[in-house]
Amino acid sequence: MKDLLAAVKSNVLVAENIYMITLTLPESAGKIKGGQFVNLSTGDGSHLLRRPLGVMKVEGDDISLCYQLKGDGTRKLSEAKAGDKLKILLPLGNGFDLSGRKNIIVIGGGVGVFPLIATIREHCADKNFYSYIGFRNKAAVCLMDELEKSEKLTVVTDDGSFGGNGNAVESYLKDADKLEADCIIACGPPVMLKVLKQKLIERGNKIPCYVSLEERMGCGVGACLVCVCKKADGSNARVCKDGPVFDINEVNL
Amino acid sequence: MADLSVKVCGVQLKNPIIAASGTFGFGREYDEIYDISVIGGVSTKGMTLEPRLGNPVPRIAEGKSVILNAVGLQNPGVEHFIKEDLSFLKGKGVAVIANVAGKSFDDYGEICARLDGLVDFVELNISCPNVKAGGMAFGIKPESIKKVTEVAKSALKRTPLMVKLSPNVESIPVNAQAAQNGGADCISLINTLTGMVIDIERRKPLIANNTGGVSGAGIKPVAVRMVYEAAHSVDIPVIGMGGITCGADVIEFMMAGARAVQIGTANFSDAMAMPRIIRETDAWLDKHGVKDINEIVDTVTLN
Repeated sequence: MKDLLAAVKSNVLVAENIYMITLTLPESAGKIKGGQFVNLSTGDGSHLLRRPLGVMKVEGDDISLCYQLKGDGTRKLSEAKAGDKLKILLPLGNGFDLSGRKNIIVIGGGVGVFPLIATIREHCADKNFYSYIGFRNKAAVCLMDELEKSEKLTVVTDDGSFGGNGNAVESYLKDADKLEADCIIACGPPVMLKVLKQKLIERGNKIPCYVSLEERMGCGVGACLVCVCKKADGSNARVCKDGPVFDINEVNL
Repeated sequence: MADLSVKVCGVQLKNPIIAASGTFGFGREYDEIYDISVIGGVSTKGMTLEPRLGNPVPRIAEGKSVILNAVGLQNPGVEHFIKEDLSFLKGKGVAVIANVAGKSFDDYGEICARLDGLVDFVELNISCPNVKAGGMAFGIKPESIKKVTEVAKSALKRTPLMVKLSPNVESIPVNAQAAQNGGADCISLINTLTGMVIDIERRKPLIANNTGGVSGAGIKPVAVRMVYEAAHSVDIPVIGMGGITCGADVIEFMMAGARAVQIGTANFSDAMAMPRIIRETDAWLDKHGVKDINEIVDTVTLN
């Protein structure tokens, strides 16, 4: 874990309200896994919290992160220009562990696709990914070239304006019986993960499933206990430190 | 290189920079980023006799130059701290300040008795704004501040007692004196100010608890004023906090009368905040030819 001052290389709109920022790290931050995240300063001192953003791509010392315009902080971040320097703490969280897995089902919704893309990029040379990705509409579709690194890719939209009409979980369920896979990795809105969990239980929990969760964070390193989620045993887990990736059966969604 | 060491209630701190309760856990996480033995002390996450799960999420929100939190005293309980974390912190050579909260006077007595002799200070959290029972209920009126301080003090035979004051009160001098009269060995302030942030699209407060404790750079002038008032109304040492982000802020609080300071929210903005603040404080003293940091304490003169 390192806190570095990184130079912005580019910061571009990739879909409606979605930006991709690429920063060049001044030194290596060690291995960064798909599903891990960074804490990035907005560049405005009046924002005391850094923004926790999932890693989308790592290429040498360049790291790319995607974010949705939500409020003042992300708006400020969207104004960062090439050459600007931003503080970045990384890598944070556990990330997806795919050791021993070969055939992996990917279920992603909306901005949840970014950590999944990092995971596909990390492992696509020696593992097969079967991806089911849902976006709101055509304007929200992005990074298709990255998603196409999957062995098989199904993209759907809520309104059918791109790909098929439907959502990622439904699309997966249509194919579920035909697929011989070792595990599922998923990230997306809470309602998507909730439905996924329910459907997997109905199907007899035949396949392990790991989900990456999102929560409003404070420190990002596990100290402040702000970003907790409920575990099935009633205890709390820290999304930033114990997660953000959890076994779907371990957490209440 | 000035002498940064300070002595508070007979406890020697290598420098006056202490991690504030609730922002630093029990030190382990930040120790993965830098060796926390460089800081003067750690005030632990607020602890209760029994483990607590805290409030629902979201527990945090942001305003301009401030944040709000409502964690609600999630903690593993004091016994867990004694077994699992105390020796780690002691091994780091930092002053260990056990921050404690209770639901009743008896709770405060019992938790203090359990920690007596084990830690460098017990910091009484009588000002947590985020729990329904206890916490703040004890910290508003001078009568209950004096009583809870007396109960804690009678359970502490060997460990000095620090009472953490709330800013959400009528009079800081009156409450500081109430703590002193109850037997406090020192005072720390300020805890967070109670606030609210509303998501105007949903017409709902951003924090699940509706209100939260406001902290961060934006509250610093309020904190400096209250530290000044406290330091000039009691004879016991005062530990200042509230919005400190840099070395100049440390100097300001110490000039207002603080013997040491606590750093909280700045750790979120900058995980390396405390080592940086120590360097900046040292550099300011060098630049001004001050050889011993204690020389600047309580040196502000009013207009």
